[in-house]
Amino acid sequence: MSSPVPTGKLAVRGLNAWYGKRQVLYDIDLDIPEGKVTAIIGPSGCGKSTFLRCLNRLHEETPGGRVDGSITLDGAEIRTQNEVLVRCRVGMVFQRPSPFPNLSIYENVAAGLRLLGIRQHDQLDAGVLDSLRRAGLWDEVKGDVDAPSTSLSGGQQQRLCIARALAVGPEVLLLDEPCSALDPIATTKIEHLLHELKESYTVVIVTHNLAQATRVADHTAFFYLGKLVEFDTTDTIFHHAKEKLTENYVTGLFG
Amino acid sequence: MGRPSPPAAKGGPEIPTTTLRVPRPELLRRGTLLLRLSRTFHALTGAFALALLALFLGIVATLTKASWSSILLNGPGFLGRDTWDPVHGVYGALPFIAGTLVTSAIGLVLAVPLALGVAVFLSELAPTRVRFALTTTVDLLAAIPSVVYGFWALAVLVPLMAGSVEPGIQHLTGAVGPFSGHAGGLDVFTAGVVLAIMILPTISAVSREALSAVGRQQREAAMSLGATRWEATRLAVLGPAMSGIVGAILLGLGRALGETIAVTLVVGNNNQVPSSLFSPGQTISSWIANDLNSAVAQGPAIYGALIELGLVLLLLTVAVNVVARLLIWRIRRGEAGGSPLRRRRPHRGLAAGSTGVGTAVVPGAHPEWRRAALARLPQRVRRRHGTFLLVGGLCLLATVLAVVPLASILYTAVGYGGPAVVRPTFYTETQPAACNPGPVTPNCPIGGVGPQIEGTIILLGLAALIAVPVGILIGIYLAEYGRHRLGPGVSFVTDVMTGIPSILLGTFVLVVFLEYVPSVANSGIAGGVALSILMLPLIVRTTEEALKTVPVAVRESALALGFPRHRVTLRVAIGTARNAIVTGVLLAAARAGGETAALLLTTGGFQYWPLGLTHPIGALPLVIFESGLSGYANWETDAWGATLLLLGIMLIISLSTRLLLRRAPSNE
Repeated sequence: MSSPVPTGKLAVRGLNAWYGKRQVLYDIDLDIPEGKVTAIIGPSGCGKSTFLRCLNRLHEETPGGRVDGSITLDGAEIRTQNEVLVRCRVGMVFQRPSPFPNLSIYENVAAGLRLLGIRQHDQLDAGVLDSLRRAGLWDEVKGDVDAPSTSLSGGQQQRLCIARALAVGPEVLLLDEPCSALDPIATTKIEHLLHELKESYTVVIVTHNLAQATRVADHTAFFYLGKLVEFDTTDTIFHHAKEKLTENYVTGLFG
Repeated sequence: MGRPSPPAAKGGPEIPTTTLRVPRPELLRRGTLLLRLSRTFHALTGAFALALLALFLGIVATLTKASWSSILLNGPGFLGRDTWDPVHGVYGALPFIAGTLVTSAIGLVLAVPLALGVAVFLSELAPTRVRFALTTTVDLLAAIPSVVYGFWALAVLVPLMAGSVEPGIQHLTGAVGPFSGHAGGLDVFTAGVVLAIMILPTISAVSREALSAVGRQQREAAMSLGATRWEATRLAVLGPAMSGIVGAILLGLGRALGETIAVTLVVGNNNQVPSSLFSPGQTISSWIANDLNSAVAQGPAIYGALIELGLVLLLLTVAVNVVARLLIWRIRRGEAGGSPLRRRRPHRGLAAGSTGVGTAVVPGAHPEWRRAALARLPQRVRRRHGTFLLVGGLCLLATVLAVVPLASILYTAVGYGGPAVVRPTFYTETQPAACNPGPVTPNCPIGGVGPQIEGTIILLGLAALIAVPVGILIGIYLAEYGRHRLGPGVSFVTDVMTGIPSILLGTFVLVVFLEYVPSVANSGIAGGVALSILMLPLIVRTTEEALKTVPVAVRESALALGFPRHRVTLRVAIGTARNAIVTGVLLAAARAGGETAALLLTTGGFQYWPLGLTHPIGALPLVIFESGLSGYANWETDAWGATLLLLGIMLIISLSTRLLLRRAPSNE
């Protein structure tokens, strides 16, 4: 398990979270290694998504959401920082593709840049182009960046959301079951993308799909009933789990 | 208990292997019967749905027919003439059209920014803990009857306008152009302010609905990009919600155009095109309210011209409502494409880059500006947070301003009406003879409004008797059968009908009764029918909405058990949706109970105990309208008492249904 001294890009210590009176996370300690893909697995309702939403302080925006404990990003506590600054460094992509429907592809990606105060067209263009390339969408939109974002397919919309998140230059990228609404081909594209992204970003992905975790993740954390049961390299979790519960879950005995 | 129970096996080892077998012919006969019943029920509900369409067309046709002589006589010049002079037979609609448009425009200009501020605050910015309480409070404004607004405006707003607001505006503007003239308080500006107060809850409630139809994920996506709450609203919510917001504004406009009683009380009642904001005027609806009853006696020329005015108003409000509903429907049906695509400029540079992969189109080394931007960020974030606080503060201010009239109305009504309603005789006696103007003394008794309370109960009972069964049957048709053919049309017409001004419903009923049964044109029957037409679309709509929330799985599991279709509807669906339907009926009754304009034209007004349905009858809102203006202290006290009573009943119904509906989801 994690050491008392924070070692990862993101270090979580004693994290508890509530929805109203219901506690959904209990004393989570976790170090998320830099430049790697970390997968969070576990049965429905085990607090995976809540955990992810704590990492960019989105949980506290939910009605009734409350957090207690410490999360540090590069050693600095994020819970005392301005949340806008935190979210510029920790981006997030959601379960269902959620491009802004009334904006074009270009404006979707440029939205974050405009928030940063970037106004010059050449800079915006460069940022949009770069993000679309990184998200593997550039070749598919073929320069028609003024098309409505809703004209894209589901998988393309999801990659647009990734591009949108990348545009503001985050260091960490959080993905909440990004493929659960997509077909297998779109899923494969996103998984390939994750492999490329981890060279420049720290990636945390929540997934229901165990096979996906083995394909994309370097490390895997297994959550159960709001507690972190085990965290290790993906290979260890799936083949030499120390906890019986983990083994039962990854071998499909429950969940 | 229609089916035989299997023979009881009491502890014995003999468990019957076959329990129940209905002979085939009997089963078949029963099935055929049920099928026939089911079809009959379907046909019945469909017939009523068609009747609703016919009613709508009937309203348009009746007003057209009744004004036909005037249309022929006055020609198209009717709309442009600025004189209304029955003595010389000159009829021009311009003063009333101008009055209607000017007051509505003032109302919109004042209400829209406030209403949008309220909507954004309640839906996006307010802390979740206070949202429900604030939303409920603002929505209470919509439950206050028009006559109460008017009476309150007369007592509180008009003196305020005449005393300080209007002179203040004149002082600031130099009293020129639209701000010139004698500012007396009873003018189009005051009417516009009252309209603003009245349409604000409509605009803000429907806008709020449009805002909250945008998924939470959109907001969170924006916040994940580092947007503040306000920036997330601007970026992710306002765009997709825009068509709904425009619909909400148009809906508010529709209400303002047709609002009658409150405007009648404060607009000044002067049949001339207003020369400035502070000159008294007349709107179409206020003129019909003032003059239609006497016009019936004055002859066909003036009567026809008045009905033609009503037709103008009808076409105007129906057109506005049709557009509004089309915009809102798109939101409700999840087709929120939102506003047209935001195009800042075509991105030629990027389009060119698509032909060749490479670095040619990347100007500058972007990692550098990204670093620079991030370095500037903390300072920028402070400024953006300041913007958020500013916008949030303005929206909070709008919400507070919106609630001020509610507080003032309650305060005034309790202050003046409190002494009246605590006396038991207030509920049992008739209004006494009017005393001379002056304070209420022992020689000048207050009396009571017993007959009017009874009249309101009778009118509401009759209206409910007609509107509740018919409305529920039509609602059933729309929810259960009408998804393909007739349904969407009827559903749309229902929505548009809620936007027809009540004064025109009263006019319609009066015209029809005068044509076919003139002896009861001013009677309890006519009043009840008018109120039932007012209630009908509201009940249809809430029944349809309530039934549509019953899960398909519940219906299908009942169908799978062999229930015939109509029984699924009547037993399972209505059973599940009962609370919501009852709530809808209550709210419709509350609306009808406070209705004044339609009753003014149809009941004949009567201050003694009701003699029967075929005779004129009194009603609580009419006491306020008629006695509130009388100038006699004892009558005015009665009017305030009636105001407080009506207000209390409306607020209790509105609050309790709201709490009821709020609790409903957690029960499931």
